[in-house]
Amino acid sequence: MAVACLWRRLCQGSAFPVNYASRIMQKQCFLPNSNLMGVRLAGSHVDTQVPKTNPLVSVSDEPETLYKRLSLLVKGHDKAVLDSYEYFAVLAAKELGISVEKVYKPPKKIERLTLLKSVHIYKKHRVQYEIRTHYLCLETKIEKIPEHIQKPVWDTLSQVEETEVKS
Amino acid sequence: MAAPTAARGLRAVSHVLSVPAATRHLHTSPPCLKARAARVRVGRGDKPVSYEQAHGPHHIGHRKGWLSLHTGNLCGEGGGAERALEDAFVRRFLRGTFPGALLAPPVLKRRGNLLVLCATLGRGLSPAKVYVLQGYTETLLGHFYRCPVRLELLTLPAPRVYKYL
Repeated sequence: MAVACLWRRLCQGSAFPVNYASRIMQKQCFLPNSNLMGVRLAGSHVDTQVPKTNPLVSVSDEPETLYKRLSLLVKGHDKAVLDSYEYFAVLAAKELGISVEKVYKPPKKIERLTLLKSVHIYKKHRVQYEIRTHYLCLETKIEKIPEHIQKPVWDTLSQVEETEVKS
Repeated sequence: MAAPTAARGLRAVSHVLSVPAATRHLHTSPPCLKARAARVRVGRGDKPVSYEQAHGPHHIGHRKGWLSLHTGNLCGEGGGAERALEDAFVRRFLRGTFPGALLAPPVLKRRGNLLVLCATLGRGLSPAKVYVLQGYTETLLGHFYRCPVRLELLTLPAPRVYKYL
């Protein structure tokens, strides 16, 4: 949620609507045992002898970290807008202390349509349209949790704490 | 007797054949094959034309921008057709709400849920009427599309002319 706020803050500067399809690659998943101790969910059976462990989750003694690597894929029709967004995002990341590892531009995709030029007959005369989609990929690495986030993202925060974190 | 007349005839025929417009291929001549879509044709020189009208559709993305900005037409995104339909309705609505006052086609921008309409008006209407129409547009369109609508107006004394064609 806080990372979503960060993304929103990063994208609020652009006047052009760019779409964010973010592929989050988590290096480590943590389950905070301390917060789930003693929670009895309705309909769940509590096995005190053999605790259920999720094979995707690894628990270790290292301090919990947020998503360590973020990969943002930005799509747009206008290359100039994407360039200005890249400049803005890199600047914002530098100010916030997020190290931007790679900024690269995947090749553009052009979708072409060939339609008949005339309403009726004239099959030999056609008109071609194309839609260009330019891409921009930003890969970041978050070294430490920013100061305004007190708890990790996956904690179930109460409403009061949520408003504190938002402000 | 026949030879001089025949020679005269031949000379006359060769004179006719040398004129290009008199051949059989008039219907496929280059002036008829030009594209006319979204282009303003050159005239006497008294027709004022804006920057957008002066450039043809092949300049979109290079010298021209877009009038409608949304993410529906991006590769992998959906909803392009719905946005196009909404745009068509909104443009007709604005044309009807400000009859004769719109100087240029309005620019529609979508930022998340927000729909921003940017229009340039002439100065024929009084400011009070303009504000009333602005509020009317924003409320009605907001109710139609269930999203916040913001109408940003700019009044100009006359339409911006790029050149005369």
